[in-house]
Amino acid sequence: MDWMTEPATGPRSAVRPRGLRAALREFAYGMTGYEFARHALETRAALENLFMVVVVGDMIGLPVIPPYYALRLLPFVTPEIATWKRRVLREREFSDQHEYHLHGV
Amino acid sequence: MSSLWIVVIGVVVIYLAYTFYAKRIDRTVIQADPNRATPARMYMDGADFMPTSRFVLYGYHFKSIAAAGPIVGVITAANLWGWLPSVLWLMIGVSFIGWASDYSAIMMAVRNDGNSLSAIAHRLISPRTRRILFVFIFFYLLLIAGAFVGIMAGILAARPDVPFGILVLALAGLFAGYAIYRLRMSIVGVSLLTVALTLGAMALGPLGATFTPGKPTDWSTGPISGIVNSINASINSGGEIYRVTDPTFADPRIPAPVDGKRSDTATYVAATNEIKVLPNFLFWSIALLVFSYLGANMAIWRFAQPVNYIGFWITAIVIGVSAIGALIAPFVTLPNATAPAGAFALQDAKGFMGATAVGIQPLWPMLFVTIACGAISGWHALFGSIGTARQLEYETDALPVGGGGMFSENTLGLLSLTAVAIVGTGAGAGAFAAGVGRLIHVASFQTIPLPLGTALGFGAFVVIVLTVVQLVFRVMRVTLGEWLGDRWVGFKNQHVASIVGMVITMALVLSGTWVYLWQLFGASNQLLAALSLLLVTVWLRSVGRNPAFAGIPMVFMYVTTMAATIVTAYNLYATIATQPGQAVISIAGAWAMIAVSVLLFVAALLIAYDAWIAWNRLRAEPTPAAAPASG
Repeated sequence: MDWMTEPATGPRSAVRPRGLRAALREFAYGMTGYEFARHALETRAALENLFMVVVVGDMIGLPVIPPYYALRLLPFVTPEIATWKRRVLREREFSDQHEYHLHGV
Repeated sequence: MSSLWIVVIGVVVIYLAYTFYAKRIDRTVIQADPNRATPARMYMDGADFMPTSRFVLYGYHFKSIAAAGPIVGVITAANLWGWLPSVLWLMIGVSFIGWASDYSAIMMAVRNDGNSLSAIAHRLISPRTRRILFVFIFFYLLLIAGAFVGIMAGILAARPDVPFGILVLALAGLFAGYAIYRLRMSIVGVSLLTVALTLGAMALGPLGATFTPGKPTDWSTGPISGIVNSINASINSGGEIYRVTDPTFADPRIPAPVDGKRSDTATYVAATNEIKVLPNFLFWSIALLVFSYLGANMAIWRFAQPVNYIGFWITAIVIGVSAIGALIAPFVTLPNATAPAGAFALQDAKGFMGATAVGIQPLWPMLFVTIACGAISGWHALFGSIGTARQLEYETDALPVGGGGMFSENTLGLLSLTAVAIVGTGAGAGAFAAGVGRLIHVASFQTIPLPLGTALGFGAFVVIVLTVVQLVFRVMRVTLGEWLGDRWVGFKNQHVASIVGMVITMALVLSGTWVYLWQLFGASNQLLAALSLLLVTVWLRSVGRNPAFAGIPMVFMYVTTMAATIVTAYNLYATIATQPGQAVISIAGAWAMIAVSVLLFVAALLIAYDAWIAWNRLRAEPTPAAAPASG
């Protein structure tokens, strides 16, 4: 489902499925699998946060691993640094927690 | 009036409101711009902020907000004031207030970097507003949990055909979570298996029971209902514990009147209008809390999420088949009936003061809090803004997703109203289930018998309510930890917080009167909506836009819901707290609910005062030039 996970970069028509059938398919996905996919992504993001803290935690003031290993891993984690920083440095409200997602309440 | 007309009126009104009002506000006031970067695109982090197709998001948003609120509120209101006022409020409310509340809250969050409403309230109005939100949210959750556990325990105690379906739902949920996340099985296959299993169990519940028209059902003849019936009988062998009253006759344990008179049942004394609280009511209440405890404390993927998912499909199937039944019922006349199956038998209007024995239920303001989520809901606005707003790919998607989701939820309310109106008698869930049963009977070309259809109606009702309740307790424990965790660290422990929330809920269920609990929940929900609209009004003022489309509904909802809390407090005082002969537990519950009413009233006053100060501060500042629509 690339159209769901990839950020939109092109013009509107280029990133939208066309036709009623595609729209219905997406609607059905939104009502069924999307919640599971989101939860899986949130879980992955939480694990990634932990991994990034261990590897390059010194970037946010947590020197928890010798720089040698951090340097060895740096090429692999560099693409994730920008999104990781956004995730961990964002100010959060109590309502941001997963429990507050609507889920039919 | 017939079910077909309701469908036609609903479609036309929703089309007109969406096309000629909602789109106009979106274009001229909010000026949604597809070229402006949304938080999902600016802060894409792979988890919370993620651009998502509007069709996917619409499906997700609709599934998330469609719950028991539009069903329970509408059937209670139709019972109290008739179907006509209920239809009018559903249509007018969603057209001018409901969609505006959901949509504008989402857009406000989008234009404020994806911040939640509580963070925006902290910045735009005052820090105190954010703190008061905790109070609102906690009591909102407490009241909805009390109302829902009470109504479900009443059904489970009275209907031995329902519990088996719930047990299978729990087991199917456990299996689905494990199969999808751990075994990585196909969602489609797991869905088909678990939904079929649960539906099968719901159908097996009433199998073999003896249904005789005009007589109580003999559950003892069924293999499954007979076992549950025996369990109930053995639990109840000690007799009643105490009695409560419901002056509005909206409690599901009160039987429908026959020729204007209600008869005695195992749980109801007609002469004194008292409801007997039997030991099995207590037993099923505790069973529901155990179920909810699992949902509130196990990892969400293991229980709450898959149970909710299966429950959604059960409800969607039952509601979908009922909708087909509503379309064709006006053209079908059932055997031994004189009118078509879709003709309304419920009285159109029961007068301004509503159908109540004592106390008062004036149409204004009580109708507007009794019908809560089908017309407008504060919960959608408050928490739609943190989920949906952070996934919008384009600003122009906010209207079809947020506004469209609310209009879709409104159709649930209309369908519930149709189900109740065609049956004409009975209260609450019983009337809803009987109506759904008739619609399923018609939609299946009379191949599904009426008793089985009614059992499915009861099952669907309990499933949709139960899936909500387990999540309510989940949110409640987090709120309690955030609100009071600094005062006592124990509240931050999820098990302690869950048990505290459940004990208070149980006290409300056992001591409170169901309809007052529901109306207080409605008031807190609508006050949240008014608060959301208030924030939008202040925000629009701060950016130099015309806030009338949010401000006028906000004033109406504020005044109405505050008046409703006063009326509810008066009813509790006049009909229970000061009435002679009431059980001590009922009196204690009435006073507790009066205290909650006062608390909500004062909290709303404080927010209004802070907002007034903020409004005047913004008026004193130079009005910023409105941003261009694009570029």
